[in-house]
Parts: sequence; C-alpha cells; structure tokens
Amino acid sequence: MQVLLQTLIGGITFGAVYALVAMGFSIVYRTMGLVNFAHGSVVMIGAYAASTFYMATRLPFAVAMVVAIVVTGLIGLIIERFLRPLENKDFTLMLIGTIGFGAVLEALAILIWGATGHAVPNPVATEPIDLGGVRIPTYSLLVIGVAALATALLALFLQRTKTGAAMQAVAMDHEAATACGIHVGRSNATAFAIGACLAAVAGSLIGPMLYVNPTMGGTLGIKGFAAAMLGGFGSMPGAIVGGMAFGLLDAFAAGNFQEYSELVTFVVFAVVVMIRPMGIFGEATVNRA
Amino acid sequence: MRWLLGIAAFAAAWLLPYALGGYSMHVVDVAIIFAVLAIGLGLTMGVAGQINLAQVAFFGVGAYAVAILTTGAGLGFWTASVLALVAAVVAGLLAGIPALRMQSHYLGIVTLGLALAFINWVTNAHVAGRAEGISDIPVPPMFGIDLSSAYLFYYVELIVFVVFLALALFVTHSPLGRRLRAMRDDDLAAGALGAEIPLLRMTAFVLSGLYGGVAGVLYAGLIRFVAPETFSIGNMFLLLAMVIIGGRSSIVGCVVGALALAFVREALLDVSAFAQLGYGVIVVLVVVFFPKGLAGLLSRRKAGGRARLGPFQEYGTAAADEGTVLEVEGVTKRFRGLVALEDITLSVPAGQIRGIVGPNGSGKTTLFNVVSGFYSPTRGRVRLHGRDVTNLAPYRLSLRGVARTFQNLRLFEDLSVRENVLLGLDRTRTAWIWRYLATPWAVARYSRGLNRSAEEIIARFGLQEVADAVPRALPYGIQRRVEIARAMAMSPSLLLLDEPAAGLNGEEVRQLAEIVRSIRGSGVTVVVIEHNMGLVMSLCDHVTVLSSGRVIADGPPDEVAVDPDVVAAYLGDSMAAPTESEVEHAEG
Repeated sequence: MQVLLQTLIGGITFGAVYALVAMGFSIVYRTMGLVNFAHGSVVMIGAYAASTFYMATRLPFAVAMVVAIVVTGLIGLIIERFLRPLENKDFTLMLIGTIGFGAVLEALAILIWGATGHAVPNPVATEPIDLGGVRIPTYSLLVIGVAALATALLALFLQRTKTGAAMQAVAMDHEAATACGIHVGRSNATAFAIGACLAAVAGSLIGPMLYVNPTMGGTLGIKGFAAAMLGGFGSMPGAIVGGMAFGLLDAFAAGNFQEYSELVTFVVFAVVVMIRPMGIFGEATVNRA
Repeated sequence: MRWLLGIAAFAAAWLLPYALGGYSMHVVDVAIIFAVLAIGLGLTMGVAGQINLAQVAFFGVGAYAVAILTTGAGLGFWTASVLALVAAVVAGLLAGIPALRMQSHYLGIVTLGLALAFINWVTNAHVAGRAEGISDIPVPPMFGIDLSSAYLFYYVELIVFVVFLALALFVTHSPLGRRLRAMRDDDLAAGALGAEIPLLRMTAFVLSGLYGGVAGVLYAGLIRFVAPETFSIGNMFLLLAMVIIGGRSSIVGCVVGALALAFVREALLDVSAFAQLGYGVIVVLVVVFFPKGLAGLLSRRKAGGRARLGPFQEYGTAAADEGTVLEVEGVTKRFRGLVALEDITLSVPAGQIRGIVGPNGSGKTTLFNVVSGFYSPTRGRVRLHGRDVTNLAPYRLSLRGVARTFQNLRLFEDLSVRENVLLGLDRTRTAWIWRYLATPWAVARYSRGLNRSAEEIIARFGLQEVADAVPRALPYGIQRRVEIARAMAMSPSLLLLDEPAAGLNGEEVRQLAEIVRSIRGSGVTVVVIEHNMGLVMSLCDHVTVLSSGRVIADGPPDEVAVDPDVVAAYLGDSMAAPTESEVEHAEG
C-alpha cells in the first residue's frame, strides 16, 4: 500500500509536468492545426534557461522561471513566423518542419551549453513531509501547485478574455474567424507563444527532477505528445487527464518493469490508442464523403 | 534517355572503387545502406502517405537479428540474414497495425513510441548485448571472395541496392503504386474505387520492414558490430531529413538525398553539433520553400490552363439486366442523437435513371454513403442484385459493381487525369500483389492492358487534351466529367451520381444529361442526387423525394413535382419546386 501510494505521488508529479507539456501541444494544435514536434526541444531550452539563470544568479527560482518563459516565448514566436506558410496545410510537411526546428534547437543547446548537461539543485531543500509512512517531497507539492496555477490561468485566459475568445473562435473555424474580423495570424502567434511559455514552466519544473541535457527534449516531447493524444488531441481537460494518466503509467511501469519501463509504457500506449484513437475526451470524427 | 542515364550511373558506380581510398570506400558503403533505408521510407511515407517513424527500428531489427543469430545461435551469416529479413517484415507488420486505426501525426507518434520501445529493449536486454552491443559478427562467406574488404563488400551492396531500387521503381510505377498514391491523397475515394485500404496500409509497412531488414543485413555484414546508438531517434530524423530533402514521393530523389546527406554527415563528423544545426535549418527551409524536395525542383509541371473538352462519344446500347438492381429496405441511420435517415425503403429496377431530391440536410448524401458502404446503417438492409450487401466495405461494393461520384469532387489531386481513370480500371484485389515478386512480367502485361483501356475511356469522354494534367489545374466542369469517367472506368452496374450538375453551366448540364442517358443506354442503372430540377424533370424516369430523413414522395417526375408534401417540404414556395437560380444560391 505504501509502495503504491509512493508510486502514485511520483506519477502525479511527473504527470503534472506531462500535462503542462501536453497543454502546450494542444493549445497550438487546436488553434492552428499544427502538430509542433519541436515542443519537446522548447521544453528543453526552458529547462536550460531556468536552471542556468537560477544557478548563476542565485535569485529566487520564480525569477528564473519568468526568465525562461520570456526566452521560450520569443522562440515560440520565431517558430510560428517561420512555419506560418504551412498552417492548416499538409500535416506531413508541418510535422517534418517542426522536427527540423527541434533539431536546430537541440544543436543550439549543444553549442551553447555543451553536450553533457548539468544537474540542478532542488530549490526547496526541505525534508519531505511524512504522511503515515508515505514521504511526499516538498518539491512535488511545488510542481503540482505551479502546474495547477498555470492551468487555472490558462483556463481564465481562454474563457474570460477577448483574445482568448478569439483564439477559441480560430480553433473552431479559422475561415469564419477571419470573416468576423479576427486576425488569425496574431491569434496563432499568441497560441504559439503561450504554448512555448507552458513549455518553459514544464522545463523549469522538471530541471531539478531530471538531469538537464540537450537530448531530454526528445523523450519529454514524445511523452507529452502521447499524453495529449491519450487525453484527446486539442482538448485542454484531455491534456491534463492524459498527462496524469501518462505520468502514472510511466511511474507504475518504472516500478514494476525497471529498465524496461519505456518499452512497457510505449507498447501500452500503442495498444490504448488503438482501442480508442480519439483519446479520452476527443471527438469521434465522422468521415464525410 | 532515362535508361541511358541509369546505365551510365551504374557503370560509374561499378568503377567507383578504383578511384577511392580505403576510408572513402567505407563511407560510400555506409551511404548505400542509408540509401536503401531511404527508399523504404520513401515508399511508405512519400508514396503511401503512412507517417512511419519506426524505419530505423526495422533497420535495427534486421541488424540485431543477424548479430544475435550468428553469434548467439551459431547460424551461418546468410541463413541468419534470411531469418533477419523475416523478422524485420514481421516487425513492419506489427508496427503497421496501428495504421489501421489512425493516420497522420497520430500514427507518427505511435510509431515513434514503438521505435523508442525497441531502443529501450536492445539497450537493456542481455541477449542484445545491452549498451555495449554485439561484436564479432562473422564475415559473410561468398565463394571464397573476402567480404571483409570494404571494396569487395561494395559490389555486394551495389547489386543488392540496384535490385531493391528497381523493385521500388517497379512498384511505384505499377498499378499497386498508383493505388498507394491514391490512398495517400484520399483514402475514402480510393476505397470507393476498389482499393483495399487496410491491406494497402499493411503492404506499405511490409515494404518498410523489408527495406529496413535489407539495410540491417548489409549493415551487419559491413560493420560486423551492432550497438543501440546506430538505431537512435537522432538517426531516424537524419533519415527523415534525407527523404524530405530528396523529395519524398520520388524514389530517385530519396536516394540522392540519402547519398548527399550521408556524405555531408561524414564531412562534418568532428563538428556534429554544427552538422545537426545544418540539417535542421535545411529541413525547415526545404519544407517551407520546396515542399517537393530536390525532385520537385527538377520536374516540370504540365500546364492544364486552356485545355478544352472534346465531344463525348456515345456508348453502344445494350439491354439492361432484368430485375431490381438496388433495394434499400427500412434503412435508418443515426449519428448519436441525430436521425439522418428514418426507415428509408426504395427499390431501383435495372436500367432506370432514378432521381433523389430533397432540401439540404434531408439525408440524400447519407443515403449514398450507406449504399456505397461508407456508413453502416443503424437498422435496415441494402441489397444489390438481390444479394445482401449491408455493412460491406466500400472496396467490396466497388468490386461488385457500385461506382459513385462525390458532391464535392474527390479526384486525386497529385495524380494525372489518366492515372485517375487507370485507378478506376484496376479491378484487382490487393491479394494479387504476390505477383509483384513472383511474376513481375504478368504485372507489366496487365498494366499495359489497363493503359490501352484508359485511352479508350479518355477518348470516349473527350479528355485527350487534359489526360496528363493534374485535376486541380483544370476548370470545374472538366473535373466533374473526369470524375464520371473515372467512375465509368470501373464498369459498374450501378452508378451513383452525387450532384453531378453542381457548378456546371447550361451547356455543360446539357452535355451531362446526354452522357447520363448514354450510360443508361449501355445497361447501367443510374441513381442521381440533384438540385437542378430542370435536369431532374427531363432526365429521370422516377423520382424519390426525401425530407428530414424520410421518403415523402416517390413516383414519376411530373407527379412528384405537384405533390403537396413535396411543395411543403420546399418551404411552401409558390412554385412546385425551386427554380434553378434558387438552387444555385443554395449551393455550398
């Protein structure tokens, strides 16, 4: 029971990060129909930006996070500007274009920070809280709290602000949105920047949990993407549930299959999405002839 | 000309080792392996449109199978190679199963996940040598020729490469390749033309596995050492870059891209971060500015601008079969809460032109989708020539003689008009594809026969001038006619036309009526959905009126037009039915 609860806590912590990554994928996908395979690399850049700033300046971790958000937000805007000609077009091309961007970001990270990577000290170095024998690291609480806050802010933005409503409109029908006087390009850029900011939050949170290195984006991106798909691509609640589900799957696979956890995780994922390709919250699409 | 170029390239490749030093020879050997992999990826991704990011894992399965079977099980190199090919093909089949349920980026992420699972396995499994890999793979024996020499191994590779390049080119230019490309462009329309989509997708993955396996065997024979990093996701993206830069739908383009990037990679080996930066930038630039890659730069586009339609040549008359061709019995179709069709019953006798009319949203196209197998009805039966065909897949219905056109035109945009017609003509089952390996000459003969029939149909429908153009370059009216020609290429017994007159001008509508009458005269039964009441009145023998998913009237056109229910359904206009101009407004 204790082991189970302990695994659960680890799973939820990673799940919160996957959920942030998945939301980043989803907000870009629903707004502009672009599957951003570079997202994982943006997370990696976010992790580097936050950890480098944090370790160099000794300022509070929150400040480092803001710096990371600014850096990745700019990167997001640049990527969007480059790939704008491909929006709402050939999926294969977009996919490959964003993979190309991911390779560029990874190469830049190697050139700037070196190929080896670095460990990040825990910003809340206190004893874990002991709850009936289950040890909850304080950092896990921080991760879950920040992820929840980011989710709440995003939901408020999408539902309560005019820009957010415009983005929802573009997501539903970009042509009709244009006809209503919404600047689709600006809306897309906003979506991309928000996605990149979420990536920075995810990256800075995961830094102290993993070893920050240039290739971490690949696995993180794939897992976040898989989480988004598990929840239902483009659905925000789906991204959160999918992220949690994937984090738990990951944690239990690691607990029971040790070194083969990745194998088990991805085979289980493949089987689940074969049974339900539209994910948990996705709409069944009807082929219209 | 192409043959000469090919022979010259082969001769140059044969003489190449005389000009190279030992290390360069090794680099060329590795580049050829990448080229084989790129051909496989080009076939699955470029030709068949299946986003397969597990190609590098198939490569790994091939190489690791040879390594494990030779060093672990003590088999000979070539025996192990045959088994390794089988293993790679099986891996392809397994990784292809998700393709039956999902496509595009979904498939991409699942195959990528499976590739990660493979890497995870080889890095940890004792039998695969863990992170250190497996060394001491034996030198492949070859009648006393020492294949440990990079020079001599080159010739083995060259021959294998040429054989598999030829196979890939043959497949792309054959009826199978055409179906794969059609599936890539529009799998629904391809299914309606008789292409077995699930089997075709699996075929694409089998090819992917086969080419991966061949490359893996060559790699094991050349390097004689396997380790996980060769099959990493990074190399998968390198392979992807090769295929994109070369031009994914051109096999030769893939080869050129692979060779070029393999050499660049070698040249920049010491500054690999810069090399990666370079590929990344090139891939982004190619995708944004030259989506067709190097191959797209070289190929010229045929302009279809001012092409005109020739006259339609009438079909000879033939007696229609006796009896009832189509029977729809109590068909109901619900989409969750929405009832699209409610208890529809109608029967169409042989040789009739049946009109289906009704306001927008009355369920006409849904009815077609049920009859042609796109939807399964919630209740009720559909019979064709008295045989129950409810729930049959579109391709089966197509092979049983149901042809259809689509309301919003579903021509294959990247295929020429001639190829669109050829797709309709190809009536083979996909199970026929074993012949591609066993008796390729029979395939070639069959293909020539198809080409002759295509010329007949192109001439009959007056499409000679536009035969080599791609549909999107053509005016709308011509595209409509191409779609009917493609449907008639299937020699159907039942032709379903979904708003064939939409977007046509008066003269084109007159020609359409003439074509449809001639088609009926040749013994084909026609069911037509149409809003143009003038056309319906003059063309149809019998009209069925749908409203809100129910049949509200059924009878000869002049009786139906004055039926009070029909008048009410069309919003109680002062006219019995909408005029043509109203219909035009209602379009779209």
